[in-house]
Amino acid sequence: MTHSSPFDPPESLNELEDHDLDALMADLVAEINDVEESMTITGKGGTAKPHAEPAGLPFPPPPSSHSAPQPTPLNVVQNSLGAAKVPSPELPPPPEPPKQLLPEDIEAQAKADKIKLALEKLKEAKVKKSWVASDRSLSSSWWPQLVVKVIMNDGSSKTLMVDERQIVRDVLDNMFEKTHCDCNVDWCLIETNPELNIERGFEDHENLVEPLSAWTRDSENQIYFLERIDKYAIFKNPQNFYLWKKDKKSLQDMKDKDKELLLQENFCGSSIIVPDLEGVLHLKEDGKKSWKQRYFLLRASGIYYVPKGKTKTSRDLVCFVQFDNVNVYYGKEFKSKYKAPTDFCFVLKHPQIQKESQYIKYLCCDDAWTMTLWVTGIRIAKVGRTLPFDSSFRELGS
Amino acid sequence: MAVWDLTVAVEELGPEAPPLSISVTSDLHIGGVILKIVEKTQMKKDWSDHALWWEQKQQWLLRPAWTLDKCGIHADARLTFTPQHKPLRLGLPNGMTVRLRACFSGPTFRTVMGICKLLSMRHPEELSLLRPVEEKKKKKDKEAQEEVYDLTGVPLTSGSVPNLYNGMPAHFADSPQTEAVYKMLSISQPPPAPEVIAKMYRPASVVDKAHIHSRWLDSSRSLMQQGIQENDRLWLRFKYYTFHELEPKYDAVRLTQLYEQARWAILLEDIDCTEEEMMLFGALQYHINKVSQSEPQAMMSCPAMDDLDSALQSLEVKMEGESSSMDMLETMTTAPELHDYLKIFRPKRLTLKGYKQYWFVFKDASISYFKSKEEGFGEPIQKMDLKGCEVAGDVNVAGQKFCIKLLIPSPEGMNEVYLRCENEQQYSRWMAACRLAAKGKSLADSSFSSEVKNIQAFLSMQHSNPGAASAQNDENINTHSLVSPRYHKKYKPKQLTPRILEAYQNVAQLSLTDAILRFLQIWQALPDFGVSFFVVRFKGSRKDEVLGIAPNRLIRIDLGVGDVVKTWRYNNMRQWNVNWDIRQVAIEFDGNVNIAFGCVTADCKIVHEYIGGYIFMSTRSREQSDTLNEELFHKLTGGHEAL
Repeated sequence: MTHSSPFDPPESLNELEDHDLDALMADLVAEINDVEESMTITGKGGTAKPHAEPAGLPFPPPPSSHSAPQPTPLNVVQNSLGAAKVPSPELPPPPEPPKQLLPEDIEAQAKADKIKLALEKLKEAKVKKSWVASDRSLSSSWWPQLVVKVIMNDGSSKTLMVDERQIVRDVLDNMFEKTHCDCNVDWCLIETNPELNIERGFEDHENLVEPLSAWTRDSENQIYFLERIDKYAIFKNPQNFYLWKKDKKSLQDMKDKDKELLLQENFCGSSIIVPDLEGVLHLKEDGKKSWKQRYFLLRASGIYYVPKGKTKTSRDLVCFVQFDNVNVYYGKEFKSKYKAPTDFCFVLKHPQIQKESQYIKYLCCDDAWTMTLWVTGIRIAKVGRTLPFDSSFRELGS
Repeated sequence: MAVWDLTVAVEELGPEAPPLSISVTSDLHIGGVILKIVEKTQMKKDWSDHALWWEQKQQWLLRPAWTLDKCGIHADARLTFTPQHKPLRLGLPNGMTVRLRACFSGPTFRTVMGICKLLSMRHPEELSLLRPVEEKKKKKDKEAQEEVYDLTGVPLTSGSVPNLYNGMPAHFADSPQTEAVYKMLSISQPPPAPEVIAKMYRPASVVDKAHIHSRWLDSSRSLMQQGIQENDRLWLRFKYYTFHELEPKYDAVRLTQLYEQARWAILLEDIDCTEEEMMLFGALQYHINKVSQSEPQAMMSCPAMDDLDSALQSLEVKMEGESSSMDMLETMTTAPELHDYLKIFRPKRLTLKGYKQYWFVFKDASISYFKSKEEGFGEPIQKMDLKGCEVAGDVNVAGQKFCIKLLIPSPEGMNEVYLRCENEQQYSRWMAACRLAAKGKSLADSSFSSEVKNIQAFLSMQHSNPGAASAQNDENINTHSLVSPRYHKKYKPKQLTPRILEAYQNVAQLSLTDAILRFLQIWQALPDFGVSFFVVRFKGSRKDEVLGIAPNRLIRIDLGVGDVVKTWRYNNMRQWNVNWDIRQVAIEFDGNVNIAFGCVTADCKIVHEYIGGYIFMSTRSREQSDTLNEELFHKLTGGHEAL
């Protein structure tokens, strides 16, 4: 789990501001040492220790939304300083190419990467500050509660403190400590939206507080802690996704060596390759109860469909949706809710949308496997590069 | 032993001179023959590169210890004593031509190794030479003599790793001319004029695409053996689409040329993509061109630059950005804000019909609007948080229309909002602010001013009226230069501009190297990437079909429908062989799957070499990335002509 390499907190605003180049360079050296440390940890394949529970709220209490305060300038500076000084776990370093950790890496490469990482960290510190500063005025969208209730599969629940900087992987590790589950890779946090009858498993690298802040005040949304074999099925049996056109028999008998080759080809090259899915899906027409069939194709750049009377050559395809601003959700019981042809539905929508809207795209598949193919394919297209291929696959292999 | 006369032509004696006649015996070895020739010419010069070429048999006599008898040479043989290295005009992936000395006597594989070493490109095994497509010679065009970069004077270095000097391989640092060549090799070319793209040959079908592959030279034979003459023109292209360990630090030329080949593949529709992808490719080309022109010093082609140097440089840049935003924070009273009278239109709201004017204030990442400037300190009519929103422009400079279309997410859905600005300056600032806010950045972000400039640069593209089109400067590119001719017909340049600008937002902050890598990534993610087509006739089939050869698989494509019928992966391949008598390739896969086909559009040696080549590429490993197993390559690709 290379994802939780801890870093020291960034310098406070004041200190950074007074730095001259020399001091920054001194920092840089320190950063490099940090990186070196964390790299040795990950290099040994050990798990980085989860950070300590934050004592108290790691940032100032949010202003109440009703008064909508216009903070005085002084206030803002104090607040942001306060926030920046509180130790909080950093985002993980940007995903490194898997080759990074191989022992035969040349030294020069490692050095260059370290410096790059260190610089990135400095930049990150900056980003964080401006984020804190700008958030003062976004009080209406600010979610005050960082106490998250997570529901277990037996219906009981656990209450967690979630830090604004924590990613889902951190929270999962937290849950592993609090529960007696087997800690396998299939465990995930799932967001449900009862109003739309949809759910989505968070990706491990996602920030958790951000999607929660999109919930409305009266939201009935929940977070579940469940095992989902779909989560990393792509790494366990890549052939089912990349060679879905082949007959089932040959896929079942696939040798591990061939599986690994598939993963190498699709995840370890300079470009993530998205499974070439295509086929007829049912699309719920905007604002109507009816569903119509279209021939859809998945590409790295989005989902496309073949317009009437055209062939499926690339240049004729019409873009249905691109993935920058949408997430993919599983739909539940859409047959009764939306008169869908089957219950194997998925939904694409902006994470902020919480209620029924013409901006939600509803798609329906003929069977469960087709649905899994599409949802997984879309996930790869959207976040393929950040899927923890290396770490989870090694775990699975061992 | 009988003495007989051997005739040998020597070019150095002049074109009019009769061939030399030397007295030999059949047990004289080739080395001895050469000695006699040199003596007879009575010329003092370095003959070490010269060798004997046997005209009738089209072969070199490269073994000095072999006797004439062993070579099978008799009195009727016409031999030429000629240099093994000759000048060649080489068309590069970027469309430029470089003249250099290439080996005409070794296998083409080794010739390419030599060329790549000279051009300082790693992994020559991925490239090869092919005969160019004949250009339709119009008389007018002939006047425009192409610019040729000359490298024939550069000595072939013997060292394995080229020494660096002034940030370039030492052999380029000799003269301003060679430095210019290196610049041409390592910096991408400006976008071509739309007419140039339109004039170039574009494959219209998969069969057209197949024909190009009949032009590849045979890697196991020499240039001379394949009829290539001194000063002939050949193309150097990446042939195998598996790019081993692309490393910007060492691969300045390789990356640039790869980018150029990819760019032309897109522009000439050699590989298909969707409209959205084309816009992104266009945006990346625009950006790459802009960055490589504005910062030629900081380009990736400075492999000599020490890590720490570059780190320091970036640090300085960071500090500048840092301090400016710090100032902003300290003096919040002068916090960046935009305020203007703008017009707003909300299609969803029944209460507002058409555009209505309000006093708008943009602060941090949200827009508030008020009845008038005077009421600007009270409660706004509405405040819109732009984080996560979608921003699009709707601009017509000639029509003085400057609209910003916002899709603002809310729990209920997306709210459509149109803002109308008065003029370009206002539009650029508000647009830039919206773009930043959508990404969760505030106005205080240091990228604000560069964002404004980007938008202005794009708007200026719309200024170019048809009359002044020829007077384009670098800042002012015709957007038709960035997309394939299909879109020249579909859209006017000013219609393309906002589309490309939209895509540009997501790439505008990339460094030159990152932008090139991104371009290559998107290219590599296209479904048809890396597939080379051949028209073949499968055994037992009566119609022509298409065989696609990709880095990891073979594809059978129905010519009528264009659909993929079948895919075979190399890792399931047991063996493949060629029946050279009937020119048929036969392949056996796991599970007793056998296929066989004859080749229609290309010689079956080319198909055989392509498949064997990809098998070879897959044997490369990280550990021995700098040693090239030439013998294995020939073993896998050579066929019966193998060494």
